[in-house]
Amino acid sequence: MRADLIYGSTGTRYLEPVGWVFAIMTFIFLVCAMGLGIFLVVESVPVLRSEGLGFWLGENWWVGESFGALPMICGSLIVTGLAIILVLPVALSGALFTSEYLPPSFRRKVKGVMELLAGVPGIIYGLLGVSFLTVGVKDALNLLDGNTLFTAGLLLAIMVLPTVLTLSEDALHSVSSEFREVAESLGLTKLQTALRVVLPQALPGIVGAVLLGIGRAMGETIAVMLVIGSLDRVPGFNIFVSGQTIPSKLGREAAEALGSGLHWNALMGLGLTLFIMVAILTFSGTFFIKRSSQ
Amino acid sequence: MRRYKRVWVGLVMFLTVAIPLAAVADTGLRILIVGSSTVLPVASRSAEKFMESSSSRILVNAGGSGVGIHSVAGGRADIGMASREISQDESKRFEKAHLKIHTAGLDAVACVVSAEIYQAGVRKLTPMQIAGIYMGKIRNWQEVGGPNREIVVVDKERHRGTRHVFMQYVFGNASQRTLGTHLVTGSNNEEQAKVAQSDSAIGMLSFNWTNDDVKAVSLLDQGKEISPTWESVKRGSYPIVRKLNFITAGEPKGEIKAFIDFVKGPEGQRIVAESGYIPIGSFQP
Repeated sequence: MRADLIYGSTGTRYLEPVGWVFAIMTFIFLVCAMGLGIFLVVESVPVLRSEGLGFWLGENWWVGESFGALPMICGSLIVTGLAIILVLPVALSGALFTSEYLPPSFRRKVKGVMELLAGVPGIIYGLLGVSFLTVGVKDALNLLDGNTLFTAGLLLAIMVLPTVLTLSEDALHSVSSEFREVAESLGLTKLQTALRVVLPQALPGIVGAVLLGIGRAMGETIAVMLVIGSLDRVPGFNIFVSGQTIPSKLGREAAEALGSGLHWNALMGLGLTLFIMVAILTFSGTFFIKRSSQ
Repeated sequence: MRRYKRVWVGLVMFLTVAIPLAAVADTGLRILIVGSSTVLPVASRSAEKFMESSSSRILVNAGGSGVGIHSVAGGRADIGMASREISQDESKRFEKAHLKIHTAGLDAVACVVSAEIYQAGVRKLTPMQIAGIYMGKIRNWQEVGGPNREIVVVDKERHRGTRHVFMQYVFGNASQRTLGTHLVTGSNNEEQAKVAQSDSAIGMLSFNWTNDDVKAVSLLDQGKEISPTWESVKRGSYPIVRKLNFITAGEPKGEIKAFIDFVKGPEGQRIVAESGYIPIGSFQP
């Protein structure tokens, strides 16, 4: 907090009213975040008590008998991983080109389109996916059916591309132009400057962009639900079969389970699992940024 | 205080907008109807007609029979829609809610296949064959007289009314686990779309939702071929029939009772027939 917020113009120690408002807002955010975590833990205690570790290792989700979340956890990891593998090359090259090669006026137009697309809700992508992508994947790959983990991963890649692209581009563009000028004066080509000077400087921002993309992909419910096939099974190494992710499972069963004992607790347990998975990802991302900036 | 004038002005503006809005939301009774996507067309058409002569606002939402029963029992909806009976498990769990069933009409569930399969010659299936397909023992259409193509088995969410009556007929167990399933769908719309998009799928659908891409097959039960038509339902020979139910917690009162009476009355029953179902009066088993 800045000194003049705490010490007023008279020099006595007091927090300006606006400072208090800011402090309260921050506090509200912290309460929300902690409340969510506590709620998820408390609500999932019954299922963890009755299933133990089997909740994460079990393969069978049969309401009334056993709750095993392994199919959903595997599904979420596979689909998100696929989405990131597919999105990274496109997003990075796109961001580099937009930031380093496009003239400013053109760049602004491209950015506008990206930001517009980044705000399109999941259901739109889901409906497009169910109308075109599932059929397209089925015909192109000659599969038995188009509702697969691969389709979901592909759809998520398309969905998070604008977010990752525009945020990575921001990170690249905000690298001070002095670096580019120095690099140029040393005789580096434009490509060398972009890859060897700008990209490393922008890396923390890019990692942040990718993490946000992963977050959106992991939490996407409706778009995935419509194209993944919604079958609870551990898919093994075949990504061309139907599966289930944590959010799609929640989307399918939450309304039915609301207020109905262990089933509801099991779904909350799934929510907690997703929460932990995203937290691990975010922390490892931050850790990676710290390591690489040293 | 002059510095905070803007804050005050903003607050006052917010309140002048927010308070009347809250007041508007409170006028007239709101009736929330939630549940089966099979009953939904009847409910929403009836609601439209009913609201012409009533001040109450009726909201109709889909979600499935299970959701309908749970919502009305939990007080999250005024009326639940279900295309099946309340299961033993549910009636035990919601004993305190005193759920009351009001039947509005009848529907039948067909075993459907993709049009390509129907055209290739699969016109009838026995319950044993359907069971074999859903358990993963029969994997190719060739085994039931179709083309040499793998079967895409489309199942529905466990709590769906359509699934309950279908599985009850095929397996004698409404919540049968199916090991051969490829896809799980939710609403009738979704099931219809997935079967239509595939060229080798099998599924279950209300008669109303069958069309040129999704064809109903006849059932070959104990040597008798039962065609999936309304005539055989009316004759009482078609086996997978279910009631379209509205469910209330306790005896309905006031506007809720008025709406249910409306659906059961002549106008409502005409809507049931227009929606493609059988009104309760005309059914003699």
